[in-house]
Parts: sequence; structure tokens; C-alpha cells
Amino acid sequence: MRILVYFMVAIGLIWIGVLESASSSVKDFKRHANTEALESQRSIHRVIAVGFVGDRVVSKIVSNGRQTVLSKGNEKFLVPDPAVSIGSE
Amino acid sequence: MLTAKAWVQIIGNILSVRFESTSQKLILMFVFAGLTYGAAGLGAMLLMTLLANSQLGKDASAKHGISASESSRLGGFAIAIVVIVYIVGLSLISPYTPGPVRDEGLLYLWCAIFLCCLLGFAEDIKPDFLTPMLRLGTKFVVLGALFWLSPILIPVSVGIPFIDSLIALPVLGWALVTVFAVGFINALNMADGANGLVPGIALASFGVFFMEYGRPIDGALLFACTIFFIFNVISGWYFLGDTGSYGLGAILLGYGLQGVAEGHFSAGFMAALFCYPCIDFLVSVIRRWRAGRSPFSADNGHLHNRLHQFITLRVNSAVMANSFTGLIISGSTSGVVLLAYLMDVLPPESDLWYLFFVAEISLYLVSLKYLTSIQPKTRYADPK
Repeated sequence: MRILVYFMVAIGLIWIGVLESASSSVKDFKRHANTEALESQRSIHRVIAVGFVGDRVVSKIVSNGRQTVLSKGNEKFLVPDPAVSIGSE
Repeated sequence: MLTAKAWVQIIGNILSVRFESTSQKLILMFVFAGLTYGAAGLGAMLLMTLLANSQLGKDASAKHGISASESSRLGGFAIAIVVIVYIVGLSLISPYTPGPVRDEGLLYLWCAIFLCCLLGFAEDIKPDFLTPMLRLGTKFVVLGALFWLSPILIPVSVGIPFIDSLIALPVLGWALVTVFAVGFINALNMADGANGLVPGIALASFGVFFMEYGRPIDGALLFACTIFFIFNVISGWYFLGDTGSYGLGAILLGYGLQGVAEGHFSAGFMAALFCYPCIDFLVSVIRRWRAGRSPFSADNGHLHNRLHQFITLRVNSAVMANSFTGLIISGSTSGVVLLAYLMDVLPPESDLWYLFFVAEISLYLVSLKYLTSIQPKTRYADPK
């Protein structure tokens, strides 16, 4: 029984990182839709959630992920950002 | 000035610092995981610790040449869980849409990766559940079908005119890439013999892919491989297992071929990045064939076995000797390529990366020749 609790704690902690990545992505999505520049979102909050390396990873996903958002089809930007990544997954 | 012998002694003393007790190792692992990936890193580390302690997939030390302790073969399974939790979570609560949902080619690729993982998982749970021929045949069928359905993965040019002319022929090109793909996955499986060796190569590769593309899947794989790498190097309680080596092999192969086919990377860059498993595989096959044995029979004459034997005499800790072996090899091959990529030494699409590849082959052969000359036999029993 105790092992199940540990597994739930482990998944919960990973989920904190997922939430941080997702919320950063959504914040950037809104900012991009309003044609605002990408801001550095580094904070203690994010470092605690995803660590020092994770912070860089999330920033890169956010800055390069705009093409991914576009390719879904139901989110539209008036002016696609030419500076997005060449990959699309 | 210190002599070379004094330097070896000093490095040996540093490496002999023992982290032998379980609690010391756990503290160190969790500190590194927390620093690199915060709460998410701690969660992934806890998950891996729990899986490593489960009775499922336990492997006796004698089954892996240089391992001195009973370890779990579920490393690949642990990586898969972390990546799935991350990608499913990101898909549910953010605008991210995973590649296989939108792109047919990526769907085929991930189906092939899933089948390779499944093949490995069956072997990890019940060793020898499938015969070697059946596993090999299944890999040929799965990867052959992948390249048949996604011919876009077959590179147009690898920078070598003779090979380019062969892969330009429709059926021959498909057959050659399929044989190469099966060989690559087997090579990665064969190279998984020291702590941090294959995880180090995978870590460097996903680092390159992530910096080049910034895809969430590369970020998730980088995250999972970093945590596994920390766990594997410090504790030695985990092997990637067949799930990990087949699965990571299929992912690295798929994304590597895609990068070459789309012209973002040269074949020379990929050859330099994945030099160790490929060269070690070829040299091992030739060595066994010359000795009159089956080219695919297992033995302990790999460079990592020889290097480990050399290091063991100079380092007191069994785990550190094992980990240092893996770190030296992955660091001096894929690690150097990652560093060169970060420093923009050459553009990733340049064919001059073949020079790196040639330098790595030379280093491999010189090291193997030297270590074989001072150790005519390995300390591990070679099969008759």
C-alpha cells in the first residue's frame, strides 16, 4: 500500500514540472496572440518546479513551440513568427 | 611539475571516494536530480528508485560483464513512464499536439518505436522468452515496414558518392537502410555494458536534437535520460535493459535519419555522434568471425570491458570503476561531438564531421590495441 503512495507522490512531483511547462506555454501563447514579445519567465517558482536545466529546457520549448501550436489548426495567429524552430514536433 | 603517473594516482584517489552506502548514493542522486530538474527531477528520481527496488526485471550481476551487483533491467521502462507522463500531461493541459497525432510519418515512426520497446520489454521481464532469431526477424519486419511506409526517412545523400548511388535505387535503398537500422539498434544494445555509456550517448544526442529543434518530445527525452544518467552513474542499480536499448535505439535512429533526410544534419555528424556503438559492433563482429565464432555470440572483448579492467586496478570502488568506464567512452565520443556542436566548430550539415568520425575510429582502434596488448585475456570468462 505504501508503495502506491510513493508512486503517486512521484507522479505528482513530475506533474508539477508538466504544469509549469504547460502554464509557461499557455502564457506565451496568449502573449504571442497579442503580438507581444517573448519575455524571460525565469523565477524562483519555475526553478523550484523544473530546476536549473529544466528552466532552460522549458524556455526553449516555449520559444520554439509556436509552430507546433499553429499546426494544430484551430489556433490562429495573424502573423506567423518566422523565427520559430525548424522542427515541428 | 607532476608526472603522468602522479596525475593517474591523483585521479585514482579522487575516483576512489566511495559512495557505497545506499543512503549516501540516494542523497547524492536526489540532490543532482533536484538541482537539474527541480521537483519534476525529484519525482522522476523517486519513480526510478521505486522501480529499481521492485523484484520485476532483476538481473544477476553475472549476466552483465562488468556489473558487480544485482541490478534492475527496467531502466528503459522507467524512462518510458517519465516521457509518457510528461507528454500526455503536456498534451492535456497545453496547446501542444504530439507529432504522431498530426503527422502520418511520425505516427509510423512511433509505432515502430513502440513495437521495438515491446520486444525489449518481453525480454526484460522474461529473459530468453523470444529466440534471438525471432527478435532479429521481428526487428527486420518492423523497421522494413517503417521505411516502406515512410520512405521520406531514407536519406537522399550521405556524402559518399558510391553509397549515395546505391540508396538512390528504390528497393535497394530501402533494403540497405533497413539492414543499417536493425544493425544500429543491435549495436546500441551490445554497447550497453557500462554505467553511463549508452545513457551518455543518448543524453548527448537528445541534447543536440533539443538544441536544434526545441521539440517538447526531445525535451521530455532529455529530461528522462538526464535523470536516468544520474541514477545509473551514481548507483549502478539500473541497466537500460532491452526495452531501453531497443527503444532509445529506435528513437535515435528515427530522429537521426529524419534530420539527415531533411538536411539539418549531415550523415557525417550522425556517424560522429553514434560512433562508439557502430564501431564497437563492427569490430566485435569481425573479431568473432576471425576467431571462428558466431559473429553475434556474446563475449567480453569489447573496448569497454578492456577499459574497465584497466580502471578497476586503479580505482577501489567497483561502481565508480564501472561508471568511469562509461563516462570516458561516452564523453570522448558523443560528448566531444556535443561540445563541438555547442561551440559551433562546424555547421551540423557539414560533411567535414566525417573527420571527427575518422578521429574517433582511430582513437578506438589505438585504445583497443593498447589495452589488448597489456591484457591478452579479459578478467571475465569469454564463452568457449
